[in-house]
Amino acid sequence: MRKKLFSAAVCGSALLLAITGCSTTSGNGTKDDGATGSGTGADCVIKSAVPISAAFSLTGAAAQYGASQKNALELAVEDLNKVGGVTYELTVEDDATDPKQAIQVFDTLIASGAAVIIGPTLSNTAKQTNPIAQDAKVPVLGVSNTAAGITEIGDYIFRDSLTEDAVIPQTIKAAVETLDVKKVVVMYSNDDAFTESGYQAFAAALKDEGVDIADTLTFSKADTDFRALLNKAKKSDADAIVVSGLIDAAVPLVTQAREIGIDTPIIGGNGFNSPALIKGAGKAAEGVIVGAAWNSASDNEQNVKFIEDYTAKFDAAPDQFSAQAYAGLQIIDHAVRAECSAEREAIKAGLGDITDVPTVLGDVSLNENRDAVHDALVQVVKDGKFAILE
Amino acid sequence: MQLFLDGIFLGSIYALFAIGFTLVFGILDRLNLAHASVFTAGALVGIEVVSRFGISIWLAIPLVLVLGALLGVLIERIAFRPLAGRHDAHFAGLISSIAFGAIILSLLQALFGADTRRFPADAFPQARFEILGATVSLLQVIILVISVSLMVVLTWLVAKSKLGRGMRTIAENPHAAAVLGLNVGRISSTTFAISSALGAVAGVLFTLNVNAAQLGIGHAVELKALAVIVVGGMGSLPGALVGGLILGLSEVLAVNYIGSSWRDMVAFGLLFLILILRPQGLFGARKTREV
Amino acid sequence: MLVEYSSLITLIALTAILAFSFYAVLIAGQLSLAQLGLASLAAFTSSLVVPDEPLFGFIPPLAVGIVFGMCVGILAAFILGLPVIRLRGVFLAIATLAFGEMVRIFLINQTWTNGAQGLGFPKLVGIEVAWIALIVVAYWFWRLSGSRMGRAFAAIREDELAATTMGINVARYRMASFVIAGAVAGLYGVLLAYFSRFADPNEFSFTAAVDGLVTAVVGGVTLFVGPLLGSVFLSVLPELQRLLGINAGWIRPTISGVLLLVVILFLPGGLSGLIPRRKSAKRLVANPALRPDLPALPAPGTELVSLQGIGKSYGGVHAVRSVDLSVQAGEVLGLIGPNGAGKTTLVNMVTGLTPPSTGTGVVLGAALTAGTKAHRLAQSGVARTFQQIKLFNRLSALENVLVGGYRITHDTLLRRLLFLPSARRFEREAVAMASAQLIRVGLGDKAANAAGDLSYGDQRRLEIARALASHPSLLVLDEPAAGMNHVEAGRLSELIRSLAADGIAVLVIEHNVRMMLATCDRIMVLNFGEVIASGKPADIARDPKVLEAYLGSAGNDADVEAASVLAAENLAEVAVELAREHEQGPDAVIGDDAEPNGAAEPEDKR
Repeated sequence: MRKKLFSAAVCGSALLLAITGCSTTSGNGTKDDGATGSGTGADCVIKSAVPISAAFSLTGAAAQYGASQKNALELAVEDLNKVGGVTYELTVEDDATDPKQAIQVFDTLIASGAAVIIGPTLSNTAKQTNPIAQDAKVPVLGVSNTAAGITEIGDYIFRDSLTEDAVIPQTIKAAVETLDVKKVVVMYSNDDAFTESGYQAFAAALKDEGVDIADTLTFSKADTDFRALLNKAKKSDADAIVVSGLIDAAVPLVTQAREIGIDTPIIGGNGFNSPALIKGAGKAAEGVIVGAAWNSASDNEQNVKFIEDYTAKFDAAPDQFSAQAYAGLQIIDHAVRAECSAEREAIKAGLGDITDVPTVLGDVSLNENRDAVHDALVQVVKDGKFAILE
Repeated sequence: MQLFLDGIFLGSIYALFAIGFTLVFGILDRLNLAHASVFTAGALVGIEVVSRFGISIWLAIPLVLVLGALLGVLIERIAFRPLAGRHDAHFAGLISSIAFGAIILSLLQALFGADTRRFPADAFPQARFEILGATVSLLQVIILVISVSLMVVLTWLVAKSKLGRGMRTIAENPHAAAVLGLNVGRISSTTFAISSALGAVAGVLFTLNVNAAQLGIGHAVELKALAVIVVGGMGSLPGALVGGLILGLSEVLAVNYIGSSWRDMVAFGLLFLILILRPQGLFGARKTREV
Repeated sequence: MLVEYSSLITLIALTAILAFSFYAVLIAGQLSLAQLGLASLAAFTSSLVVPDEPLFGFIPPLAVGIVFGMCVGILAAFILGLPVIRLRGVFLAIATLAFGEMVRIFLINQTWTNGAQGLGFPKLVGIEVAWIALIVVAYWFWRLSGSRMGRAFAAIREDELAATTMGINVARYRMASFVIAGAVAGLYGVLLAYFSRFADPNEFSFTAAVDGLVTAVVGGVTLFVGPLLGSVFLSVLPELQRLLGINAGWIRPTISGVLLLVVILFLPGGLSGLIPRRKSAKRLVANPALRPDLPALPAPGTELVSLQGIGKSYGGVHAVRSVDLSVQAGEVLGLIGPNGAGKTTLVNMVTGLTPPSTGTGVVLGAALTAGTKAHRLAQSGVARTFQQIKLFNRLSALENVLVGGYRITHDTLLRRLLFLPSARRFEREAVAMASAQLIRVGLGDKAANAAGDLSYGDQRRLEIARALASHPSLLVLDEPAAGMNHVEAGRLSELIRSLAADGIAVLVIEHNVRMMLATCDRIMVLNFGEVIASGKPADIARDPKVLEAYLGSAGNDADVEAASVLAAENLAEVAVELAREHEQGPDAVIGDDAEPNGAAEPEDKR
């Protein structure tokens, strides 16, 4: 026994040495020759592959989002490499839904020469990792961070995900106009940064529209049984229920609401925008209104092709997370080609100039605050499909 | 009335999880933190067999029961038995069961992915009826009935059957049990098997009830179940049921009268108070120390 | 190297500090899951007081944060400790877990913490600060481990009751370990927030608490480097897998889980168990010159114990009723009586473990009341052994005796922290005194053996040595000869006589009547909780009431043997006749060396 343990210990230290050995060889990839090419835009040719890194939550609590983001990026790299001139080399790392892990992942990605980092999945993780990239002057493109204050971290931080502020006022306005909503109950999970900022946007928008909030109910992001809350909401006799929650909560909440006999409209934000809502809640999802940054039913040519390819490749329908990740790489491709360089500074400059770039999300611009600007959509579930609310 | 029933049904779910949890704790004095993973495994495997192979839910439940029992035996053999007789068996068992639970979860992710899954909408009859002005679903009633009858059957089993006598002897003194010729290993395995089988079925029922299952559901319930078995009295089966109901009711009442943001504060505050005022729980016997 | 892994290296230090916070309670045998709650309280409140500019122009903001955070940790741990400190084991774990969750929910619902959105912090902590903090914390625990306080923690972990009777104030030490853990947790919270520039209450959840506990246990709690080893192991694993080219995804947590399982199953004592330990605290110092002068014992003949009409009942059952007892310095008082006569209950009252129900008593100047604390009596000079041996099994024989010396040694923690020469001198003195006691009971050659590995007779002697180490005025021995053969019992008898000659009052319970008759100055006989005879050994031996009591009980081999001895002392024929009447065959047992088995003899179990 002792002997075995000893040899295990020896192996362990050998591996540790291996780490230090490896680390000396990996240097600044961007300093290599060939990072800058010739031509611009579609003609741009860069000899060496452009190293793109992503840090997503592939395991842990947010694993389901990370998984579809990773899939979409793989698809995007495949598609973009077919165009020619510029090839991308994708590294996807796992932050295990743990900010401490994410910090280490960012260090590694930066040291291994990433030209740009995509991610991380969660906003609160981004608040801890993005300053590292900012300090190292590595551009970061968030594809799912919607909380306030992310791009304020620094001038290297961009995102293509619309904040709740950009989606929700439109949703509430549309709902008020079409459904004549006067009094609502608001529900949100108060232990999650994304849903809480969604709630704040809802509250502000409801106030602007002069809608009465009968009651505000909170739950925990891990909750799955909402009957007690819903029964309380039911009593208040509101015209609609407004929910800021993740898809994990959306499906059980919607089904249970219908089950206990709530038939008022339910209004959700970005978190509800997933094919899983319709697949999971089935008939109960009918009439749910979802404000979102992406619509699966949009007839945008790129989007149609994306949904087809994605479904064929991964045997599952894409959600907003995957669409935004895919669009993220399209935007990066545009930035790289604009300066025809894989240097970090060049990509940063390119990202600063993104105006009306056609993507699966529609035409996307990044504004002076490095935040995404594109049309948001208000959808309603109709006949088992997301349709534009009219 | 609706409030009261909501609380009872919510509580019966906690109780369902907690009964298996407390069985192992009461008899073997081990906290099995892999129980949450077994719960999740039951839910996800149940969904898989129903949705992929089109098996009826009534056939899936026995299958999940067997799977749970097998997992229970594995947990006992791998994470607990090697520790027997070690002075730090208590702590080490906690950690080894956490590790084992993590392995189960990552294998589940490998098999089924991380997405939220659910049973097909028609997997279970959607009957609903009114009692005294409150809406209840057939499933909720079934869960309550199962929780109560499990508690009764298990209490009887532990109190009266030969296996139960063996369990209690081991609980009292494992060395004496071995001297008496009891097969301590087999009885421990059986206890774990029963506990985990219940945990796995609880996972299926839970998922049917809330219409969602993903890798994290076990953990969400585990923390509450810990509260339940302490409130009810460590190792007490009726305590687990009553504790579950108390917790369910207090959560529902907290949502309605205090504010939903403070719901878990009430649950854990209750737990804290009970521990301080009556550490042995409502139904637990105080363990005395001898000089 | 340093750039690429700077965060990893910093986080190793921070995680190790968190693990030290768990270590601080684990070494005292407690399991607390409140550490993360304490850490988040410290982190969030520190954001309210940390200034942007150095305070008074020279105190850096981080120093303010650290001091404040540690104070918050200490204060919160103390307030939490007040109600929960009396809980044990898993109950303590769950009460503290509830506390941690309550803190988290509280912070989420506060506006000044910004709820789930979290709070930004300036970056003030890097590799250097984190490692300096870790080194300071590790240094503290290193110096603690060999101090009197460290030994007291170990004693409480091994056997709380025995620790109490060494004069250790268990409640206070448990609170101390709680508060130390709180300080370290507060330090961790502040450092983490000012390292990662952001904190939200969910980062300090139950899962994070479990991670911290896992780190501490994997590292091991037997050596102060344990938390660091655990942290390195768990922090480097994901990085290692990444370098080995293992794909991100489910496979990595699987591998980590398997490795964790392997470590727990095959390395009892955690990773630090792999490190061979220096055995300095296990060597005898047999130099009488090193032993300090101890205060003189009370003059022979002084009354040390005086009980009047003392009694104890448990829900209507009278274990002891109305007993008068007096013990003088320098005498050996024997307490005999059949099984279940109430002997152990009586000495439990004398040593403060059981409060009397009726009657009054004074032991070494302290009145016996419901509020009498065993550790207080021990501090005034009562020492005892137990019928069911209560040694600190995982400590060496010498360490056991060192703990026994708690009452007469100095606390060396502060001196050890400063490496003062007096710390070394005090320790050598303590070891010299302990060594002398070990040699006195004949265990000098077994000083380094773990107490749990000693033979039964050796364990009995070690317990006596441990009790003697406190330089007691009154020594209570509960069946010291159980499990000893005649030769050993003879030597024990000599030892007891020599102790009395030194001026110690010895109160001894024993079934070996032959030995008692030869050893004691006076003997008291108890039956059904009452004194049935008292006087000189020779008178007791011939008192038919005593013999009758034993025959009437005749519960086990020990009683039968006692009866046979008494019978031999008395009139053999009468005894045999009486014995036949009671359908017992004492002649069959006479001369037999029936050894009572202490473990299987639940004497006086309530």
